[in-house]
Amino acid sequence: MSLVSSAFLAFVAFTAIIYYLTPGSARRWILLAASLAFCASCGFYSLVFVLLAAVTTFIGGLLSGPSKSRGLRNAACVITVVLNLGILCAVRYYGVIGLFAENLNKVFGASENTRTFMLYAVPVGMAFYTLQLIGYTLDCRWERTEPEKNFFRYLLFATYFPYFTSGPMNSYANLSVKLDGAKDAKFSIGRLRDSAIRIAWGFFKKLVIADRIAVIVNAIYGNHETYGGLYVFIGAACFAIQLYADFSGCMDVVLGASHLLGIEMPENFNSPFLSHTIREYWQRWHITLGGWLRDYLFYPMLRTSVFVKIGDGAKKLFGKKKGKKVPTYLGLIILWAAVGYWHGGLMKYVIGTGLLHCFYIILGELVEPVSVKLRKALHSDKMPYKIFQTARTFFLICLGHIFFRANNVPDAIMMYKSIFQPFSMNSETLASLGLDTGNLVVLLASFAVLVAVDVYKYREKQEEEPRLVLAKLASKPAVLSWAVFMILAIAVLIFGMYGLGYDSGAFIYARI
Amino acid sequence: MSREEVFAKLNEIFQDVFDDEDINVTETTTAADVDGWDSLEHINLLVAIERGFSIRFTMGETTGLKNVGEMVDKIMAHLG
Repeated sequence: MSLVSSAFLAFVAFTAIIYYLTPGSARRWILLAASLAFCASCGFYSLVFVLLAAVTTFIGGLLSGPSKSRGLRNAACVITVVLNLGILCAVRYYGVIGLFAENLNKVFGASENTRTFMLYAVPVGMAFYTLQLIGYTLDCRWERTEPEKNFFRYLLFATYFPYFTSGPMNSYANLSVKLDGAKDAKFSIGRLRDSAIRIAWGFFKKLVIADRIAVIVNAIYGNHETYGGLYVFIGAACFAIQLYADFSGCMDVVLGASHLLGIEMPENFNSPFLSHTIREYWQRWHITLGGWLRDYLFYPMLRTSVFVKIGDGAKKLFGKKKGKKVPTYLGLIILWAAVGYWHGGLMKYVIGTGLLHCFYIILGELVEPVSVKLRKALHSDKMPYKIFQTARTFFLICLGHIFFRANNVPDAIMMYKSIFQPFSMNSETLASLGLDTGNLVVLLASFAVLVAVDVYKYREKQEEEPRLVLAKLASKPAVLSWAVFMILAIAVLIFGMYGLGYDSGAFIYARI
Repeated sequence: MSREEVFAKLNEIFQDVFDDEDINVTETTTAADVDGWDSLEHINLLVAIERGFSIRFTMGETTGLKNVGEMVDKIMAHLG
């Protein structure tokens, strides 16, 4: 079941009605039943694999708890993590059936089409719940949380339907408390209104912006041999916007649905394209993944004796100031390779969303002494320089997106080369991008709304809470909020892309 | 070791890690108050603290600290 579908809306509405009609203590059973039904609706393999992950991490968590012996705790934790990561990595490469039956396919001479179908039978949401559940086992081992003894309580954490396909990722300590709070959740018109606006905003981003701009992206990346020069950048910039509208729209639906049930999930985006640096971008884009990688991979890795020894050796070789950076950079390379791999297990992802960003960040660190002087000379506190920084960061992200969206690495390299080819921009080539004037106007207008909302939300200091449009609306007469909802709903109905080839299930990050 | 002594030693570690002799950490000091205390440098700081006090933080203690005061609480708990 796609999050952007009338079926999902009906599912959420039905679940919410039953949920609020049920006495408090029994509500978690309603949520569990709804979550398992949702997982099953995502496919047989989705349900089987999430149950496998839930059972193994639940047992792993119990055995990793402080009451067990040190040896058992370490063994249980390592086996659980390796098993679940191993399944994720294997499925990343081979798909479910391919994992077991690729050789059988060859033996029985399955047609190419059948094999392709089988290879793509990858369970929905696996990349998200695997990390979240591994995080729980590690939390038990590291004594960040008490092992859960009630399996059904844990199963709800593992399968909670709003988050299941695309995150945001939660720690057990945070989400279990919120799920416990379900018994006290109260329905109100205000809650319904805020949820409806948030979900409609998500639908708007996905159906009006992302799926419309996808036409341009598909035209350029699908025929990249015919587009050169500025068109390569247009394709990359459009894909950046598509990805953002798509994924953040998905998160709006998730957070809106969960808010309706009185369970608040963490935000995953904070005006990322207004970032001044690549590091800042990753603190504003897919925030919960960044937090997970920092807490469960980067910090633990840098605290191992191997990295500490590398640091000691590097300090002797390069001096204290430069030497201490060596293990950090090494850790960053491993971290970013993992980020890239997580996005899809192919080299184009490892480069485009991983190592290229790592290169930007390390280069930024290395030239920081020069940058400090440059920023002083160029009055970096003034608006023109800040706009330059934002544009530069967006440009660098787009360079990575050429790898991300291209079919493969050779195609991406070909696209880089074609940047320097002569090109002509006339009405004929613009028309070949696939959108007529009307659709272009809708796209530009809806994009302008997206930019306006992000600029409103944006706070330069990340520790400050972003301004929320919903909070602003709540301070105005209720009729204004309902008017905003109606405008969004009508815009989705009229301007949503429901044309030929439309696939409501095709959230980009839901396929990760 | 008294709280004051922990603070004094911790201050030396901060000055050393961030290469700034003017740093003077207090109970309420946060990452926003120290130039260069970001997510990358945080782990170098923790490793330096572990060495300086001959303690070993659990992974659970390495994140989520609100300020230096909480950090000192953790150090003192390890020192017993």
